[in-house]
Amino acid sequence: MSNGPAILVCQGTGCLSGGSEEVFVSLERELRNLGLREKVQLKRTGCHGFCEQGPIVVLEPYGVLYCKVKPEDAAEIINSAKTGEKFVEHLVYCDPSTGNPLPHYRDIPFYGKQERVVLGRCGKIDPENIEDYLRTDGYLALRKVLLEMRPEDVIEEVKRSGLRGLGGAGFPTGKKWEASAKAPGDQKYVICNGDEGDPGAFQDRSLMEADPHAIIEGMIIAGYAIGAKKGYVYVRAEYPLAVKRMRIAISQARKMGFLGRGILGTAFDFDIEVFRGAGAFVCGESTALVRSIEGDKGWPKPLPRPRTAEKGLWGKPTLLNNVKTFANIPIIIRYGSAWFASRGTEKSKGTAIFSLTGKVRNCGLIEVPMGIRLREIIYGIGGGIPNGKKFKAVQTGGPSGGCLPAELLDMPVDFDSLKACGSMMGSGGMVVMDEQTCMVDVARYFLEFTQRESCGQCIPCRIGTRQMFQILDDITRGRGRREDIDLLLELSEAIANGSLCALGQTAPNPVLTTIRYFRDEYEAHISEKRCPAGVCQNLSSPETT
Amino acid sequence: MPESFFAGDYMTNDVSIIIDGHRIAAEKGATILEVALRNNIYIPHLCYYPGLKPKGACRLCMVEIDGKELVTACRTEVEDGMVINTWTPKVERVVRPIAELLIANHHATCKDCPGTGKCELQKIRAKLKIQRSRVERLRSPQGALPIIALNRYLDYDPNKCVCCGICIDTCSDINGTGFLYFVDRGYSTKVAFFGDESKCESCMKCAMRCPVGVLIPSKR
Repeated sequence: MSNGPAILVCQGTGCLSGGSEEVFVSLERELRNLGLREKVQLKRTGCHGFCEQGPIVVLEPYGVLYCKVKPEDAAEIINSAKTGEKFVEHLVYCDPSTGNPLPHYRDIPFYGKQERVVLGRCGKIDPENIEDYLRTDGYLALRKVLLEMRPEDVIEEVKRSGLRGLGGAGFPTGKKWEASAKAPGDQKYVICNGDEGDPGAFQDRSLMEADPHAIIEGMIIAGYAIGAKKGYVYVRAEYPLAVKRMRIAISQARKMGFLGRGILGTAFDFDIEVFRGAGAFVCGESTALVRSIEGDKGWPKPLPRPRTAEKGLWGKPTLLNNVKTFANIPIIIRYGSAWFASRGTEKSKGTAIFSLTGKVRNCGLIEVPMGIRLREIIYGIGGGIPNGKKFKAVQTGGPSGGCLPAELLDMPVDFDSLKACGSMMGSGGMVVMDEQTCMVDVARYFLEFTQRESCGQCIPCRIGTRQMFQILDDITRGRGRREDIDLLLELSEAIANGSLCALGQTAPNPVLTTIRYFRDEYEAHISEKRCPAGVCQNLSSPETT
Repeated sequence: MPESFFAGDYMTNDVSIIIDGHRIAAEKGATILEVALRNNIYIPHLCYYPGLKPKGACRLCMVEIDGKELVTACRTEVEDGMVINTWTPKVERVVRPIAELLIANHHATCKDCPGTGKCELQKIRAKLKIQRSRVERLRSPQGALPIIALNRYLDYDPNKCVCCGICIDTCSDINGTGFLYFVDRGYSTKVAFFGDESKCESCMKCAMRCPVGVLIPSKR
């Protein structure tokens, strides 16, 4: 980045809602009053990750991080930015166990234990300014691909990297690219799935808001590799800031010649359009997403059917990947597949990005190497459970995932280990729960969500998830029956094996894992009319039968 | 004479499959469900109707192929040598709960129902020998939704609808774009009429094909 001090004000959705725009305005006014507006850089950036402590202001090149900044702190911050030596003490993060001030973000455990590669630019560049992206090696991977590599070389490189789809299912990305490339057809499409909808997940949103060009670059490279000329970024309408920043980035990339006709002077044409979803969770499913773009009802297509790679959007071969998957592509190209594959585990390469939330001290956006232990995430990065409470469970994979108990804290976090325990990687939500959480209530919460978001097409999901929700609701209200646990298990199997799409097939996971690991809580609710966590009230009210 | 002229003759009816132990000669391109029904082997189904595109939505026609995965019989084409079992423990553990859920959720006023006698759900209940005690474990809806007038010819009972979509596909099959659509989502999914009411010729095919008697000719 360029010389001179820079004040970076986080403008992710979290910090914005905490008032970071007011902080920015106040800093700008103060700089102007002091006649320093031209000497000190003042930038709006995307999410810095440490959302718990927002609004966040970072001073570069000193690497100083200020937490919970208010507009009236502006003068003090500017004073410290001039020298980079004196800190504004009351804004510095303090180690919660020792109370020692940790002014530099590299010393804060939340950052120190992470491996921020895909999130490397997040919080450091202005996402609405392509110059910032270019100064940080942006579009170098695209240059390399277009000028030095053939499409098949690109696919080979992605295959060798071992990258797996980060939308949840973990399908090998290179294989998907190869299938789309081999599918016959002169018109093909690239779609970026930004329809993130899991409760508690915000990693795709943050990435789109903080580093939109990385996603665009990944998509252009994908277009070149499979022979597509057109791409869509499907963003849910509830993410207005992500939509805005993706659109700004696309128009800037077009002006600079990274999108459009004859990209970088080659014969390759590619352009991208943002498509806003209409608020249905099921549209994150690939075939429903495709139908939604086509203007149809967002209903998943039943098997057997042609793969999206062969017959996707408008019946043409279509490559569909998650936001994070595309953001990994420029990294693989720049640093090479060998380096990429050297990180992570044998079958899950690279890093994973999580939205760490719930009953954990340090909520935020994190990036960790695949294979890291759950304990390191929750205690090392997350700082453990606040208020002296005990850890009870961690939920991964949102409504499709499961709740894992303390016995599994030393389990490695990767696609296959999580699946083996009944949960899944999912898109990257990670919700920590403490001893005051009722696991039956948690299962009820997720089933309330899935039955509401079921598309209604197939019977097991439409009626089955509704039925499971009603049973769970009864249990939390003291109306549980002795046979309900077995009934839930029976329905789970029918819904998992009978549903038409992944939404229904994975919907029972929160129930299955909570029964598997916390069965005694179900039994206490049903037989003793007692909620061990003290969450469910009125368990022994007169209406109890 | 082009080669394909002869080839065509030999290509039909040349697939041999086994359904529930019976060897059956089947036509290439036919689905498992079509072949089974043609040979008097019953597979439960609600959203399939001959001549309409199979939707695979009701999930009741799931069968096991070669002791492996479950597939919907309505959408899976027969292949030579295929071994199909229509009722295995694995199939039963999926299909029986689905049928029970449907029945628990369906307002069982069979006595006054126009669908009674030709009702596919009654047939499924009888064929699968669905027990009342198992259905009673489930939570049934409280109260009833009002009957909806779809247009001046047709009333619609959302309490009985199984959302098979046969009426919708029938209408679009006859009228091109069609007047009937699914609206809402999840548990609230129902059928609605869209478009110019005067263009509906009240052919009543939708009501006739309804497997459960949800569409009732209006008395108005």
